[in-house]
Amino acid sequence: MDSRADISCTAEGILGYVTMSYRQRPEVDMAIVKPEIKSYVWLQTSDGSLQQVEEEVAMFCPMICKEILQNGMGTSKNYAISLPQRVTPVTLGLILDYCRFHQAPGRSNKERKSFDEKFVRTDTKRLCELTSAADSLQLKPLVDLTSRALARMIEGKTPEEIRETFNLPDDLTEEEKLEPIRNLTDDPRIRLLNRLYARKRKELKERQKLKNVETEEEAKDERSVDDLLSFINGGEQDAKGVRPAKNKKKNKRRKDQSKGFSSNDVNGNLKKVELDGLSLTCNDGTVQNFNGSTPSKTAELEDFAAIKSMSRIEFDDGDLDDELDPAMKEELDREVEDFARRLNSDWPERMQEILSLGSDRRLVPISINGNGSSQGYTGTMILFSL
Amino acid sequence: MAYSFPVEVLEHIFSFIDSDNDRNAVSLVCKSWYEIERWCRRKIFIGNCYAVTPRIMIRRFPELRSVSLKGKPHFADFNLVPEGWGGYVDPWVLAMGRAYPFLEELRLKRMVVSDEALEMVSKSFKNFKVLVLSSCEGFTTDGLASIAANCRNLRELDLRESDVEDLGGNWLSCFPESCTSLVSLNISCLGSDWSLQSLSALERLVGRSPNLRRLRLNRAVPLDKLANLLRRAPQLVELGTGTFSSELRPDVFSNLSGAFSGCKELKALSGFWDAVPSHLPAVYTICSGLTSLNLSDANIQSSDLVKLISECQNLQRLWVFDYIEDSGLEALAESCKNLQELRVFPSDPYAMEPNVTLTEQGLVAVSEGCPKLESVLYFCRQFTNNALFTIAKNRPNLTRFRLCIIEPRTPDYITLEPLDAGFGAIVQNCKELRRLSLSGLLTDRVFEHIGTHAKKLEMLSIAFAGDSDLGLYHVLSGCKSLRKLEIRDCPFGDKALLANAAKLETMRSLWMSSCLVSFEACKLLGQKMPRLNVEVIDERGPPDSRPESYPVEKLYIYRSVAGPRLDMPAFVWTMDEELALRLS
Repeated sequence: MDSRADISCTAEGILGYVTMSYRQRPEVDMAIVKPEIKSYVWLQTSDGSLQQVEEEVAMFCPMICKEILQNGMGTSKNYAISLPQRVTPVTLGLILDYCRFHQAPGRSNKERKSFDEKFVRTDTKRLCELTSAADSLQLKPLVDLTSRALARMIEGKTPEEIRETFNLPDDLTEEEKLEPIRNLTDDPRIRLLNRLYARKRKELKERQKLKNVETEEEAKDERSVDDLLSFINGGEQDAKGVRPAKNKKKNKRRKDQSKGFSSNDVNGNLKKVELDGLSLTCNDGTVQNFNGSTPSKTAELEDFAAIKSMSRIEFDDGDLDDELDPAMKEELDREVEDFARRLNSDWPERMQEILSLGSDRRLVPISINGNGSSQGYTGTMILFSL
Repeated sequence: MAYSFPVEVLEHIFSFIDSDNDRNAVSLVCKSWYEIERWCRRKIFIGNCYAVTPRIMIRRFPELRSVSLKGKPHFADFNLVPEGWGGYVDPWVLAMGRAYPFLEELRLKRMVVSDEALEMVSKSFKNFKVLVLSSCEGFTTDGLASIAANCRNLRELDLRESDVEDLGGNWLSCFPESCTSLVSLNISCLGSDWSLQSLSALERLVGRSPNLRRLRLNRAVPLDKLANLLRRAPQLVELGTGTFSSELRPDVFSNLSGAFSGCKELKALSGFWDAVPSHLPAVYTICSGLTSLNLSDANIQSSDLVKLISECQNLQRLWVFDYIEDSGLEALAESCKNLQELRVFPSDPYAMEPNVTLTEQGLVAVSEGCPKLESVLYFCRQFTNNALFTIAKNRPNLTRFRLCIIEPRTPDYITLEPLDAGFGAIVQNCKELRRLSLSGLLTDRVFEHIGTHAKKLEMLSIAFAGDSDLGLYHVLSGCKSLRKLEIRDCPFGDKALLANAAKLETMRSLWMSSCLVSFEACKLLGQKMPRLNVEVIDERGPPDSRPESYPVEKLYIYRSVAGPRLDMPAFVWTMDEELALRLS
């Protein structure tokens, strides 16, 4: 604060005497004082351009305020406050408009709200720039304002619409997208196709892997014993259809960590082969007996379910795609289309197909009353406040 | 060019996005948003606890503070789901106890909760605030005692409609004297027989809870205690009384009346067990502020009901017995112009002859007089297509319409026709309809209407309706937004189900009991659709002890990324691929 007394003595930039905040001045002084001449600070954006701004307006931004008060910056062109990179000249202008409005006393809440509403009525790009800039200037009220506006722009939109609005890449894999924690109103066909795609890709990958085994076997001989075992296990599990990519990760870790191996490891790893339900592997590679009761039994059981069923899709595994050659991809596309078409075709024909594939027995028509249920007719009308 | 934000800024933006749908959409935008969103998701709702495992949830959302789970299907409320079917919360609590030390809220519906689970909740989460157990079972007052004793910052304890075993003891006194944080306490499902100690523990608890806004008492709390409680908690916004009968003493009445008038912020009233009509005027002073009135436990007759309701000009929600009768509903339509939700429950559903004069007229009157009416649950004994036409015309803003004509297959009582056209008018006019329950005599036509028009329908309940598979086919192929479908005693079989197998993956669940779906079809479905859990619930023994073409007793199909569940009782079979191979 003391340095401000010096400011008026400098030749450059600052005009007039330092304005004591007119809140401090007693009313009577206001009448005899000359028209106020404001104090200015110098700001510099990352492109090098300089701006002079009323000090009281600029001080509204905590970051600028700190620079002025703690570091004594902003007094002259040479000591201009360097603004963060995210603050462009245009954005700075807008932010200063905001500050200029809000730092002025005597504005009603209604006025402020109205200003804010108009302020955020702008395009997405501008809003994003404002949010980013305001954040770097630590101007929390403006960050909140623009963030809320952006949130409103996001609400009610589909992922595709959001991508378009914000110009974002569509880089999630199909597997990653398949996560109905709650309901998604997707087209059933798309979901089915996605699932089939993933399955097909997996199958094709396995076929590829088997083809490549010969070439890999030569490299095997150079590795250490535990590498060998890891590879065998990886290979075995591939044959059973468990995610190859996942095993790759496990194998990598083992190479890094283990110098030797314990006999446990060996037995454990070999036992992994038996996926007949009597033993199971946890994600960390240890083996637990399905029938044994261990403290974390439920966790293992869940793993069992996850690992055992081969057509389940682990959605955090994004390694599966982008490695198929075009010919395979075409074959995949064709097969998937075929299956989907068959499944969604006119239901009478489909039914014939499915039912004839099943068994030769006909459905025995059974009336509701005669199905042997112990509940009588009137009994079963029990309240169902549906 | 994409605009890139620092992570904190995106997180801040996401903090203003609350709904599950929007959060899901955000997470599917792109890789970076997926990652950021999953780390800042604080609240999750899982509509079917078997759709996903605790492990998957924890792995994806490491920083949750609030978890909501639902277990058994809705038809469990009507005893259609056998005891022991599942819905156990224990594995979830076990996993969350390890993964979410900062968990604050747990909301469960139709789940089986053990005392051990409650104890674990009370000890694992230091900042635990909200426990809601809606229609749950499997726990006792001992479990409640753990919660009371250990949850230092408990704000909400809501046991709505749960089945709690009362082991005596005085669990309310387990709340330490230092516990003053309660905002909501709902013990209305607890017993009607309490000791004096329990009652005084309750009084003390209420007395030291200055933030208490919602208090729903159980039947055991007598009327003379109510006044004391109200005086200790004049800040209440919602109140469920205990028993509302006592000897007719003038001092009780004036004491009560005075206590009520002190509760100037009261907006919702419920309870009223054994209500004596002469005591009802005690609440008149606060009636004009009421927005919600639940009299579904009160055997109050029409004229007294009308007197009470006519004091409640601002009522938005009314739950009442059919004692209200058509005349009462007409009065309701006159006085309560802000009514949004009406539920009329049957007082004596098993009676062969109607015991009250409640017909379609009552609902028609309300539909005419209450322009904001959007949610209806109505039990009655007769209806006509014309009445449904009128209701549909009057109230195109209906979002929930559940009509329960008590006797199955009851036709239009004037024309003796099916009610197809009437319900057809409902789905055609009420374009925002999200929930529908059908009753009365219905053919496949009604399903054609539903499939054609009910594009926003999310939940549909069907019983004793339809003629053939075509009915089910219309629903599955037409209702784009369908999430939950529950069917009982309808002649729907394999064809429609198999033809629309893909549709089932877009829904939360399908329940079919006493229909005509064969075991063979279930197997096929299970084999073709690995993302569906196809559960055959059959208490007659293993399905392969009968011909495959025989219909199964009950069928529950739901989508899942968790695979087949491992806690199935003996009478549930899933159509897991390997299992199916073993059985065939």
